[in-house]
Amino acid sequence: MEQRIIASEFAEVAVSLDTDANGPRLRIEDLRGGRVRHLDALELESVVWLPEERLRELLDPSAGRWSDRPGDE
Amino acid sequence: MTVRYSELIQPERVHGSLYTDPGVFAEELERIWYRTWVCVGHVSEVARPGDYVRKAVGTQDVIMTRSADGEVSLLLNRCAHRGNLVCEDARGNSSSFRCPYHGWTYRNTGELLGYPYNQGYGGKGKLSLGLGRVPRVDTYQGFVFASFAADGPSLKEHLGAAAGELDRLARLSPEGEIELTAGWLKHRAKANWKLLVENETDGYHPQFVHGSVFSVTGSHIGSLYSDKSTAVTRDLGGGHSENDLRPEFRRMGTPMAWFGTSEAKVPEYVRKMRELHGEQAEEILIEGAPHVMVFPNLFVAEISVFMIQPVAVDETVQHVTAVQLKGAPDMNRRLLSQCVGSVGPAGMLLADDSEMYERNQRGMAARMPEWLDIRRGVGRERVDENGFRVGTANDETGMRGFWSHYRSLMEREDAQ
Amino acid sequence: MSSLAGHTGLDLHEIEEFLYREARLADEHDYDGWEALWTDDALYWVPAGGPDIDPERQMSVIYDNRSRISTRISQLKTGKRYSQSPPSNMRRLISNVEVVAVEGTDTVAGANFLLVESRERGTTLWAGRTTYRLRRVEDGIRLAYKKVVLVNSAEALSTLSFLI
Ligand code: FES
Ligand SMILES: [Fe+2]
Repeated sequence: MEQRIIASEFAEVAVSLDTDANGPRLRIEDLRGGRVRHLDALELESVVWLPEERLRELLDPSAGRWSDRPGDE
Repeated sequence: MTVRYSELIQPERVHGSLYTDPGVFAEELERIWYRTWVCVGHVSEVARPGDYVRKAVGTQDVIMTRSADGEVSLLLNRCAHRGNLVCEDARGNSSSFRCPYHGWTYRNTGELLGYPYNQGYGGKGKLSLGLGRVPRVDTYQGFVFASFAADGPSLKEHLGAAAGELDRLARLSPEGEIELTAGWLKHRAKANWKLLVENETDGYHPQFVHGSVFSVTGSHIGSLYSDKSTAVTRDLGGGHSENDLRPEFRRMGTPMAWFGTSEAKVPEYVRKMRELHGEQAEEILIEGAPHVMVFPNLFVAEISVFMIQPVAVDETVQHVTAVQLKGAPDMNRRLLSQCVGSVGPAGMLLADDSEMYERNQRGMAARMPEWLDIRRGVGRERVDENGFRVGTANDETGMRGFWSHYRSLMEREDAQ
Repeated sequence: MSSLAGHTGLDLHEIEEFLYREARLADEHDYDGWEALWTDDALYWVPAGGPDIDPERQMSVIYDNRSRISTRISQLKTGKRYSQSPPSNMRRLISNVEVVAVEGTDTVAGANFLLVESRERGTTLWAGRTTYRLRRVEDGIRLAYKKVVLVNSAEALSTLSFLI
């Protein structure tokens, strides 16, 4: 499993093709936060088609990791 | 105390305090560096969406970015929350910048995308804040210029006749485009920025300051600036000036002689140029590249591009890189090699120029005679067919042009 | 059996002796002595912006082949290379010497340096890591490659026209 690192001064992730499941997935590991997520072909395709604004919304720190709204993770 | 620029800047002399007075430097920042068009970089430095490079306008820390839709922006590197630097790396690729202090996140156009734990601000999108943006950004032949003034002359108006010199540089590429992709040397000089500007088109010094390298390499550059030279110094207006070496290159009449080489050494390049330009190719290959100082900080010396960055009244950083011609790999290797040998902290030319800037700055600490003389060639200046003042190869015509424009900017009542 | 066979790599002591000599010749502006240390395929490199740039595509502070080293030295020797006339007063310390690799008659060594330069501009501290390629030849050791990575290679540098 060949791992590639994609890094900037803002983030550092390792990506690799995971073949352990019944179908291939992209494995993404946040090297600074330690968390891993797998994205399957359909999820990746959806990211490709995501409107620019929706992608940008994901970059809002309060949209996920640093949310203080009750009920958010 | 107000500085009386009209007294300090006279047609044939300028006062030493213009180079040594911190008050003058502070006013220059406001009236020149944060007002007129200043060259910041080149679009080829941010070729792809998300690319960014850190730059400077005057003493301002600026990020040059390219957004997803291809637009080049100049952002001030200061977080809207508490003023932290948003960007630390010299270059990179990111569609967004996240401030490391409290995580505020911006698009690479400066727009605030969000901030962590947003309930503290009443929720999402409650703040109408963003990164500072240089109000006017424009490009010419790929050179990116900034103006902190919301309005004023357009870049085209500012460049005036100097635009034609940048055209002359671009047309040397078989694709009509130059690229500044070789990275920059940054050379620090303990000297006022104007000493660098004046030196750039001073044709009087090369035989003295660069005699050491001319004598060991047998370079023809010295003779281009000699008293016998047919080259001229031209005041292009707007503070811009050039050493027009074309008369000498035309006299030689040999393609590529301007670059100190022959067409046999770069056959592929010459072939492409002839294919593209037909008969006109000979003129282009003979006349070569410009030697032009674009007010206040862009200097093109044939194969090298310099950007002058003022740091303090007695400190300047000179950024320099090799011209790269799109579509001419055989030329680009040579351009880079020749440039590296000549410029920067160890350059066989620029190290000695820089030594002179620094000695010049120290010399001006002396109380007398107070003035610097800029009259060389006044009596033999002529006006050419385009209405520009022209002096001989080693006259101070360019300096006089610089100072008259400088004075017009520094004197303006509406400044600040 | 030739004198070179079986003994191509240099030992640490020989390396140090050479590096100290090279440093002294540079510090004392013994231009001819310094130039004589180089092989014909010499490469003298001071990268800019970081240690790993491609010198064939990116700007370097110095990227001299043998002929350009010779031009540089000739220029210094004119006495009119104003950025070194008068010459800087300098002394450098070399330490942390390590053998990196032995390749045939070449030994690659690394060392740190700290250099104090004094001239009228002021006193400047230079420091970095140097990689040397040293070659054993009939009459001693020659320098085939010297790469000087300044700790501040990404910053604006003062004039550096002495031999670093
Ligand atoms: S200063 Fe940038 S997030 Fe606080
Ligand atoms: Fe010069």
